[in-house]
Amino acid sequence: MENFEPVVVAFACHYCAYTAADMAGTKRLSYPPNVKIIRVPCTGKVDMLHIMKAFEKGADGVCVAACLDGDCHFRTGNVRAASHVDAVRKLLDEIGVGGERLEMVALSAGMGERFAQIATEITEKIRKLGPSPVRKVSVAAGAA
Amino acid sequence: MITAERKPLSELVECVRPYGRILLLGCNECVTVCAAGGRKEVGLLASSLKMAFSKDGKNLDIKEITLERQCDPEYVEELAPHMGEAEAVLSMACGCGVQEVARRFMDKPVFPAVNTKFMGASERQGIWSERCAGCGDCVLGITGGICPIARCSKQLMNGPCGGSSGGKCEVDAEMDCAWQLIWDRLKALGLEKRYEENMPAKDWRPGRGAGPRKIIREDLAR
Amino acid sequence: MQGEKEKSAKNRVLVIGAGVGGMRAALDLAEAGRSVVLIDKAHSIGGLMTQLDRTFPTNNCDVCTLSPSLSESGRQLDIELMTSTEVVELKGQAGDFSVRLSTQPRHIDLEKCTACGDCLAGFPECVRFTPGLDPRAPTCMRYPQATPYAFSIDLSRCQDVDELVKICKAGAIIPNDRPRSVQVNVGSIVVAAGAQLFDPGKLEVFGHGRFPNVVTSMEYERILSASGPTRGALVRPSDSKRPARIAWIQCVGSRGLQKGANPYCSSACCMYALKEAIVTKERFFKDIQTTIFYMDMRTSGKDYELYYQRAVREYGIRFVRSRPHTIDQDPVTKDLHIAYMPVGGDALREETFDMVVLSTGFQISSDLQELAGRLGIQLNANHFVLGDAFNQVATSKPGIYTCGLFESPKDIPETMVQASAAASNASIHLDPDARIPVDRQEFPPERDVSGEEPRVGVFVCDCEFNIGGVVDVNDVVKSFEGLPQVVVSKMIGHGCSRESLETLRRSIEENKLNRVVVGACSPRSHEPLFQDTLRRAGLNKYLLEMANIRDQGTWVHMDRPAEAAQKVKTLLRMAVARVRLARPLRDHVAPMNRNVLVVGGGVSGMSAALNLAELGFKVTLAEKTGQLGGVAKIISRTLEGADVKAWFEELVRKTTSHRNIEVLTHCSIVDHCGTAGMFTTGLQVGGEYRKVDHGVTILATGAVPNRPDEYLLGKHQAVMTQLDLDGFLEKNAAAVKGWQNVVMIQCVGSRVPENPNCSRVCCQAAVKNALRILEVNPEAMIYVLYRDMRTHGFQEEYYTKARERGVVFVQYEPETKPSVQSNGNGRLTVRFRDPILGRDLILEADCLALSTGFVGNAETVRELASVFHLPTTDDSYFLETHVKLRPVDMSVTGFFIAGTAHAPKTIAESVAQAQAAVGRAQTLLSSETINLGASVAKVEREKCAACLICVRACPFQVPYINAEGYSEIDPARCQGCGICASECPAKAIQLLQYEDDQIMAELEGLFERV
Repeated sequence: MENFEPVVVAFACHYCAYTAADMAGTKRLSYPPNVKIIRVPCTGKVDMLHIMKAFEKGADGVCVAACLDGDCHFRTGNVRAASHVDAVRKLLDEIGVGGERLEMVALSAGMGERFAQIATEITEKIRKLGPSPVRKVSVAAGAA
Repeated sequence: MITAERKPLSELVECVRPYGRILLLGCNECVTVCAAGGRKEVGLLASSLKMAFSKDGKNLDIKEITLERQCDPEYVEELAPHMGEAEAVLSMACGCGVQEVARRFMDKPVFPAVNTKFMGASERQGIWSERCAGCGDCVLGITGGICPIARCSKQLMNGPCGGSSGGKCEVDAEMDCAWQLIWDRLKALGLEKRYEENMPAKDWRPGRGAGPRKIIREDLAR
Repeated sequence: MQGEKEKSAKNRVLVIGAGVGGMRAALDLAEAGRSVVLIDKAHSIGGLMTQLDRTFPTNNCDVCTLSPSLSESGRQLDIELMTSTEVVELKGQAGDFSVRLSTQPRHIDLEKCTACGDCLAGFPECVRFTPGLDPRAPTCMRYPQATPYAFSIDLSRCQDVDELVKICKAGAIIPNDRPRSVQVNVGSIVVAAGAQLFDPGKLEVFGHGRFPNVVTSMEYERILSASGPTRGALVRPSDSKRPARIAWIQCVGSRGLQKGANPYCSSACCMYALKEAIVTKERFFKDIQTTIFYMDMRTSGKDYELYYQRAVREYGIRFVRSRPHTIDQDPVTKDLHIAYMPVGGDALREETFDMVVLSTGFQISSDLQELAGRLGIQLNANHFVLGDAFNQVATSKPGIYTCGLFESPKDIPETMVQASAAASNASIHLDPDARIPVDRQEFPPERDVSGEEPRVGVFVCDCEFNIGGVVDVNDVVKSFEGLPQVVVSKMIGHGCSRESLETLRRSIEENKLNRVVVGACSPRSHEPLFQDTLRRAGLNKYLLEMANIRDQGTWVHMDRPAEAAQKVKTLLRMAVARVRLARPLRDHVAPMNRNVLVVGGGVSGMSAALNLAELGFKVTLAEKTGQLGGVAKIISRTLEGADVKAWFEELVRKTTSHRNIEVLTHCSIVDHCGTAGMFTTGLQVGGEYRKVDHGVTILATGAVPNRPDEYLLGKHQAVMTQLDLDGFLEKNAAAVKGWQNVVMIQCVGSRVPENPNCSRVCCQAAVKNALRILEVNPEAMIYVLYRDMRTHGFQEEYYTKARERGVVFVQYEPETKPSVQSNGNGRLTVRFRDPILGRDLILEADCLALSTGFVGNAETVRELASVFHLPTTDDSYFLETHVKLRPVDMSVTGFFIAGTAHAPKTIAESVAQAQAAVGRAQTLLSSETINLGASVAKVEREKCAACLICVRACPFQVPYINAEGYSEIDPARCQGCGICASECPAKAIQLLQYEDDQIMAELEGLFERV
């Protein structure tokens, strides 16, 4: 697995993380291309099922990127998201995929640097963890 | 409402291990309301099981169906067209639903995916507590609207016992003493007197004492 | 006719000049329901900005940020655009002007011209305009996205007119086209005529025009530009070789030391030189040596100091504080030798460069001076518009306003602020009841696509270098050809240009597309534009999906193009997968609340409130303290000598007595909800809690005078801040007579790690106070210890005057800060290093004035940012949505910033921004309805188990279980967060636009193996 390039799905809140990612672009901050963003109006909208499906389809890591504490445009969406993330982590641990592959981060719209940093750190973390046990198999099956 | 809780995934994984194609059932009634076995939980379980097997190289085929109610034969009949494919059935309904499916499809192994817990009420989002034990002879009218059978750890008919302290039960310090609640409520109603009256020993026959029970509404059943 | 009545002077404004300022003003007015005549002398619009390669501090490509506005200008709203047009004569007065306009012939019928370029190919000699360096001498289009997109012909150069006419297949050439003259009636006028660049040919010592490798900054921008003469290759003009050493010389033609130069500072050159040097390194070659020769680096705009620091630290750009005397050219190599005297040096040094860029400033042409004459507005000694001391955009003639470079030299954000300010002022002369409802955009009826198989069109922008410079867009486009349900896959250049939008529209119609993917920049900025194009093509706007391949692709992965290309394709695949499931949706609308909440009762808050009140809107002005005023209350005069006190008292009087303004003092913001057009904010007013309904919020909470614990401030009575000194001079002028030595230290508590930005106002405050001390006590010796004197614009003349009057300015570096000690007899001992003498000096000072500047209002900003959910900068100022083009808009619709809550600024600048906030706000307030979007939660009743989980989860208490026993969600109240949808255990709720199957499809697209 020397050439392992992790695929990380980031569910990013339109109001903070998605904007921060744009900001990273405006500032031309370089980060690994492994992170692919799916825009949501609020991380409270990120269904536990969406996270599970991301892993099922082959993600090596998933990141839910929400607003800072108390900053949710919809008041409590980030709090709801945090509890969804906790629950999915438990599921992932139970089935042996590993809850540590799922991460929740908080940032504000102006934090372009922080976004680039998060993207870099998560990619490196997942790279160290290696390919998701689910994907390893499905990739092998796909190649066969 | 009947409440339930999903079984540990490890147990469910073992249940379905021998099979390649399963039917995963949800119920849109009680288990949806208590977030144990509605469409969403079915989806989560399906995804969990698929991944649990796929990481070992096994492809588990799961069909997800959520019925309006799994304890009615007409709804259960809707499963017939899908049953042929399935090697086994995993149901997230309460025990009633599981049995109804098992009864209708004799040749399919049916496994429960949830532990059916109790008849309860929702305290607030995400918290349910037991309220009724189905004793078949309701005493709420004389106990101030609080059931000593479902809510007293010892099912005392003339409580409280010596283990009641500060309004809490000796079995669990977090649990309210049902008899303290009964007393408080009777007092609020000005019915303290009723508390003084001794209740006779409970006749358990209308409950499970005389075997499985059945209700027949003559006007409807005929 | 109704239409004619609307077009009377009562509702019409003339905007002169279609550069960025004029366009902004025209757009603000038109969006506020006004009718606009926008004229430009040139034959296409865009002004100077369109020639720039990219702009600081974001290093964006300007054409890209600007062309959506150009498209807007050319497309919607009631803007009549007249190019090649000038004002001939003006009659009447404010509210009822009559203007005669004259339009030069274009010799092209714009209706027929398809911009095919055949005339150009056949008759290149008929071209009359080329930017300075352009060897293609091609077009009169100036830049590829020029609006209107048509050629212009100079008939006087044409030998064979008949042949020329024949070459045009469209028959668009009109040889006998004549100048036309029209009369228009307008209520007010905005003059946004811009300025011209200083011609360095006047300064022979620099050799511009003689030495090919000496270029002006604008010529350098053209060299960097992808649409420029070298097609974006960085090569020097003499031999088309890549330069290895480039020097910039600042203040060419500005800060008047040379013969023929102007006395003022041109304000924008320091920043653009930094930008050019950074872009040179960033986009071309990191090993190019870049050197900037400067006098003072004037980076005093919002976050500009940080940009400067990055130039030094991250990019290694070299700065030499010196003004080179001469440039010589090696006759053979054409290399350039610069001779200069370094600070503290004792002999001339010489260095060799491959190219030299002259940072030329702005000046006013004689044409504009004549225009001012025809309009009857007065100019100052430098031929810029003579403004009002406290209202930058007012002219000497009521009803005529100005903005941008014609007012004074400045950069783009300030121009945008003034443009919006001018728009709000111009509106005051119009009839509030004559507004045209703006909600009436007309689109063709929507095609019913239900039941159709998806027919997807994939359109990918190259955005010039931004995307096309990193990935091969052609290859990207090819990889989508022939995919299932993908009918079209093509490149669209600058997707946001008017022509590309038109191509997109046509392609949708011709191919009967029913789903569209645009691979471009962020949907946050450009989605509305592309959505409008879908609507014009008869498609529901929600059948569009954007893939953000620039901001989240090429911009952040430019260092690894292969992976960037992979990611771009993946992002597009995700969009294609998702768009197949896009469904037509209908927007929900609600009535607009036209009241405004202004938070903060300082100069900015009051100015905004007054302008709004004049325009007929009701204002609640909430002030935290017991009285109106803010910092301006303690300032007595401006640098120019205007009486702040008298003006201020009049402002308070007008504010408190206006019937449309309710002033609430001792008022704090408690809670807040709603969206633009229907906000509700809870206020604590004294001991009472009350709620205010409003449609727009303007934040004018100011900044706080800084008082750092330094140089004995607060510990010694002779130490004071410049603000203290201003008050002291007002009250105790006599005491100053005894002063022998006064020392001023600049940048105390600014441009330091704790407060990294420049406070912008301190240099002029020091000059102001120094001059005032000399008025009372001409014998006083005043020493100003500074890092860079930042007296931008016309402030420079007061700096010059101070030096003429004997004020000594001594430069210091942060490493060798002055030191101050009390000497026990009420005076101070100040020790500092003189870099020219190269030795330490010791002075006994009677007064030490510290230029302490401002810091962000941290506590208030944090509180309000939390209540209103607004982004802020790290140093506690509110963060606008686009630092360049939208300096007063916040990222949350309906919020605008005014004054020093945005960044430190002078009183006049604060007032301009307050008026700008009004100019922007009225574009919202003029609507009758607000669009709540279509992204609302929808319940599938058959699936609902009436479990109440949504009812309990909704942060806004919208869902309820209706009489039929299932959950119901009122679309007008739904905020669109989707929390209910993700919590629903029966999966009975979908958030439209973000439905589960759509998100699944997006994931599917991501993992699709190709």
